[in-house]
Amino acid sequence: MNEQKSSQIEVGDGAAIPRRDDRGLVSAWWIALTGAVSLLILLPLLKPDPYLAIVRFIPDGVVITFKVTVSSIILAIIIGLLTGLGRISRNRIINLIASLYVEVVRGIPLLVQLFYIYFALGRIVRVPDIAAAIIAMAFCYGAYMGEVIRAGIKSIDRGQSEASRSLGFSRHQTMMYIVLPQAWRTILPPVGNEFIALLKDTSLVSILAVSDILRRGREYAAESFNYFETYTIIALVYLLITLILSKGISIMEYRLSHYERR
Amino acid sequence: MITRFITLIVSFFASIFMLCQPVVAAEKTIVFASDATWPPMEFVDEQKNLVGYAIDMVHAIAKEAGFKAEIKNTAWDGIFAGLAAGKYDAIASSVSITEDRKKSMDFSEPYYTVRQALIVRKDSNATTLDDLKGQKVGGQIGTTGYFTIKNASGLEAKSYDEIGLAMEDLNVGRLAAVVCDDPVAANYALKRYKDSLKIVQIIEGGEVEQYGFAVNKGNDETLELLNRGLSLVKEKGIDKELQLKWIGQ
Repeated sequence: MNEQKSSQIEVGDGAAIPRRDDRGLVSAWWIALTGAVSLLILLPLLKPDPYLAIVRFIPDGVVITFKVTVSSIILAIIIGLLTGLGRISRNRIINLIASLYVEVVRGIPLLVQLFYIYFALGRIVRVPDIAAAIIAMAFCYGAYMGEVIRAGIKSIDRGQSEASRSLGFSRHQTMMYIVLPQAWRTILPPVGNEFIALLKDTSLVSILAVSDILRRGREYAAESFNYFETYTIIALVYLLITLILSKGISIMEYRLSHYERR
Repeated sequence: MITRFITLIVSFFASIFMLCQPVVAAEKTIVFASDATWPPMEFVDEQKNLVGYAIDMVHAIAKEAGFKAEIKNTAWDGIFAGLAAGKYDAIASSVSITEDRKKSMDFSEPYYTVRQALIVRKDSNATTLDDLKGQKVGGQIGTTGYFTIKNASGLEAKSYDEIGLAMEDLNVGRLAAVVCDDPVAANYALKRYKDSLKIVQIIEGGEVEQYGFAVNKGNDETLELLNRGLSLVKEKGIDKELQLKWIGQ
């Protein structure tokens, strides 16, 4: 039982993270990247009407999407850390609250949560639109992040905390100085994965009239009726962003696996 | 083996032929798409039925022109793409006839005339779009109301999937104003949100807008049926009755 020491956490909803040894030019990642980049360059050049107009229309949407993604992920990591620690806490009340939060959030679709926080709570507290979107995304992803962090902490050998405790560290100090720093190494790759998943899920905030990539595209399509061209560009932009991010995470994963590689 | 194969093919075509039969025999069915979030023109009532001025109008036209009307509730964003893709024959969803839209679809004779109305909260002093410079003004995506906001200078235009969501955001204060067709504006400002919203201006931006039924370019058969029914409906004064029933005055 306790020989199952795997420090990799599998969370399968982000993107296909390219494997490090998968370096050839004919890997799926390279084909997808070259395809997306060349289409994004060639289409506006060869057929300026309407592709160039679309490419000009959506950049501020990309900025909003990034803003929402980065702010939500930072908030989600903070919420996730508290939840993860709460889930392994010995204090029964804290443990119960953290578990309840995870259960409730995981049981409600993100789209419903977005509507709820935006429109239902909008009647009680006035939250500006982008802030409401960020709060909703962070609230949802905080629960998933909590599970990732909990799994990361659990993956650290018990011997570490036992040794630390016998050296006279308090429970709190053990967590802060011994367990968490080691756990980050395991936690970061799946966090990166969640980041990509969150970026893709921010397309849902377009229903809150937040002008993200998708909303900008829909506005363009609704006026010009160029549905095919618009959604082609939108899909390519999302694909390009997630491809670059997934490569970044793959590199980070490689660097962090320093000890395993020896 | 070969005879079995032939029998199979023959029976296959026979069954296709038989499936086609009833469609040819029955009276023609025209499928309409309608985004039922636009009261009082087309919306869903408490019994989950599609109701409204346009819905009654379609059924009246169908009765006069002698076809069967089937109305599909369809989201507004993409309603024109669905028409082009052949998912339905016509759109009955308060589509204003504009030059831009005429480039990609054909319209029936107009069945209703509207103007754009500006709605604000009761406590607002704004009376025109010019008073709202630098503020957020909302409309439904792809509607003439939203185009009005976008073309006005100095406003932050926000597009919503449904006009009801924009009205709610205006109600709670995330928007400074909403622009939409006047019968819809009246329905929200005088009924649903009568304590918090008001109509301050009917925007006179050039000519009035007229609703028409949209069909794919070249679908003259459907267009003819619709126009024939519509002229009979107008002759009998049914449109006046519907006006009284759904809009008043």
